[in-house]
Amino acid sequence: MFFQEVTTVRLETLAAVFGVMLASDVASAQENTPLAPVSAQEILAGLPSDGSRWLTFGGDYANQRHSPLTQITPQNVGQLVPRWTFQTGTLGNFETTSLLRDNVLYVTGPLNVAWAIDARTGRQIWRYRRELPTNLTACCGLVNRGFGIWGDKLFMATLDAHLIALDARTGSVVWDAELEEHSIGYASTIAPIVVNGKVITGVAGGEYGIRGFIDAYDAETGQRVWRFYTIPAPGEPGSATWAGDSWKTGGASVWVTGAYDPESNLLFYGIGNPGPDYFGEMREGDNLYSNSIVALDADTGRLRWHYQFTPHDVHDWDATEVPILADLPIDGQTRGVVMFANRNGFYYTLDRETGRLIVAKPFVETTWAKEIGPDGRPVLLPGNTPSEEGTVTCPDLTGGTNFWPPAFDPSTRTFFVNAREVCMTYYSWEPEYTPGDRFTGGAGQRVVDPDNPAYGALRALDPTTGERKWEFRYLSPSTAGLLTTASGLIFSGDPDGNLLALDSRSGQLLWHYQMGATLHGTSPITYMVDGKQHVLVPAGTTLTAWSLP
Amino acid sequence: MRSLALLTFATALACASLVAQDLPETNPFHGDSAAVLAGMGQFRQRCADCHGMDARGVRAPDLTQVWSSGRTDRGLFNTVRNGVSNTEMPAFTAPRTSDRDVWQILAYLRTLASPAPTDLPTGDVGNGALVFENNCSGCHRVNAKGGLLGPELSRIGSGRSREVLLSRIRTGIDEPRPGFQPVTITPESGPPIRGVKKNEDLFSVQIMDTRERIQGYRKDQVRSVVDIRRSMMPIFGPERLSDSDLTDLVRYLGTLRGFDPSVEQRPPVVF
Repeated sequence: MFFQEVTTVRLETLAAVFGVMLASDVASAQENTPLAPVSAQEILAGLPSDGSRWLTFGGDYANQRHSPLTQITPQNVGQLVPRWTFQTGTLGNFETTSLLRDNVLYVTGPLNVAWAIDARTGRQIWRYRRELPTNLTACCGLVNRGFGIWGDKLFMATLDAHLIALDARTGSVVWDAELEEHSIGYASTIAPIVVNGKVITGVAGGEYGIRGFIDAYDAETGQRVWRFYTIPAPGEPGSATWAGDSWKTGGASVWVTGAYDPESNLLFYGIGNPGPDYFGEMREGDNLYSNSIVALDADTGRLRWHYQFTPHDVHDWDATEVPILADLPIDGQTRGVVMFANRNGFYYTLDRETGRLIVAKPFVETTWAKEIGPDGRPVLLPGNTPSEEGTVTCPDLTGGTNFWPPAFDPSTRTFFVNAREVCMTYYSWEPEYTPGDRFTGGAGQRVVDPDNPAYGALRALDPTTGERKWEFRYLSPSTAGLLTTASGLIFSGDPDGNLLALDSRSGQLLWHYQMGATLHGTSPITYMVDGKQHVLVPAGTTLTAWSLP
Repeated sequence: MRSLALLTFATALACASLVAQDLPETNPFHGDSAAVLAGMGQFRQRCADCHGMDARGVRAPDLTQVWSSGRTDRGLFNTVRNGVSNTEMPAFTAPRTSDRDVWQILAYLRTLASPAPTDLPTGDVGNGALVFENNCSGCHRVNAKGGLLGPELSRIGSGRSREVLLSRIRTGIDEPRPGFQPVTITPESGPPIRGVKKNEDLFSVQIMDTRERIQGYRKDQVRSVVDIRRSMMPIFGPERLSDSDLTDLVRYLGTLRGFDPSVEQRPPVVF
């Protein structure tokens, strides 16, 4: 070994002296060639078998969060060891999905701080921090759910309702586009996705009387290409579903990333609650496209179809859960579907081309609807309208599930979701609209029943029937996102700070580690670095990378 | 130039102290029933969506125990007025939110924490303290004196109403508060360990046992962990505690408004 090193040094010295280029120099010159910009093909390919990339929120455009990697298995997962831990040094918690390319992680944190981090060591390469105004109107956490990437740029939605592009090599701002004026209730926390050079994003603010929209921006210039308002203006199709002027302050925000189907060039996004949240009398009608999934042409933003999960919602059940695309055998025929576990307590499988309902079944206790009828509309049960005296309904306002990402294993055709069993007393009253103020018209309080305590569970569902295959119970509801691997693992988190690895076929717990904070609203990701499979876990203010020893 | 800077500084100081003087230390609307009603309306419109209709927290923290945990009226006023930076708690600024609005909301919240008494307090504080020492101090601590198994009561007078105290002493507590749930751990060998649960997850439980030892146990290393539904707080019926002693005790508890350093301390425990 010593001899070899000496020899190398001597050869290099010789090469320097005589200007001879050695084979090793050629190799390092190739390594130093600037990396090609992120291309459409790379993102379209999803998660590669060599584990070298994680380039979009859900791993692939279908949002399956299913990795082909098999180095970590149910047999050896118990040997996982931490490689490094990264601390944000900021207030607030991660809700992000990190991106990985060329051994570098791109990570957004709370308060619009973001980092490039060496995936080998956890050391910071650059840090970006946005100076935020003091009059933010972000409802439920000053968080961010991740970057989008395209070419040599990263895209981040900001709490003051801008979309910015950063140079991936330096973290410096390349362009900055205002989505809307933040002081009147607009904010943005969504992870953008990039489709054919267009950055797709949306706005939060469903508790502030905004009018929601989905936007597409040119990745190079930051110019807006199209906007789809999630509430139609008078005269547009669907506008009759809003009484009077209620459409102007109807909410219908967009704060969770949708899916994209390259075959049909359609985007699928879940839309937030109508406003005011609990007082429906101010907005008689179905209130399209609140609490719906919309299929939009990615080039033009034109609506192809919509499906409304909860018409005229009065329980704050935003349909801002992550849609997952897959091909499933339905009645002996392979069909392209969208799978959706909804905050209202029902699991849905929809036809991807038409939006028609294929399966709808409760995955938690639901007391507001008997079932979803053959026409796709819920069959309502009486006595579930929030009132001044209070009305008990299950699930609670946080819902049967929420924005934390589910996962799908195509090899076993299993849909995984962290589900909540919680009921709530809902109150409502007539609110007044003041720009920039909360506009919810009510409040809730969780039902505490010692004989029937609230709890949570990781549930595995058959998306062709909505039937449960297995569940793993937590002591109380979890808000963790999920990750599955081709080796038959599922990673989750419990509400008490444990990182969990389970057998995705049986639900058997295989390994756990106390992280000291929950994986709130965020999923682990997995990738290869120097021949080792890593599992990257955001929890609280830390990111920890795990691998086999 | 320097004197100008000093002058500016002095002016700023004067202004700051003027502001501080303007802001009362305690809520001028405390117990004012009209203000409480107005505050309830304001709370429901502007706060309940995050803090819960009962102010026990939904998306944002429980506000009913802030006084008993040591927050002051003025401190809470400033939190509402200035918001909490780097969180979603906004600043409720003038002129849209007047001082009066903030005080009224706090007056209402105070009634949730400790409803204003409907009748004049009666009872003998001195005898109440004696009753406490003989019956309660084995489990409850006041001013650094007493047991540790039950909740610390040095601030109980600002945290619980007289009616609640009376009912808890006479009829017991159905649902122990977090940190005081009785639990029995049966080890692989040796006698069962009884105590109150301080924390728990799927894999472990942390307790204070009846000898006041704090200790964690891994669930896979013990035979069983069994919750006991009812609080360890005994029921003090009239046969154990006369009506007049109870009145004195509750009167004494009502005077407990925070740690009182003038009370004689017992010597520190040596481990």
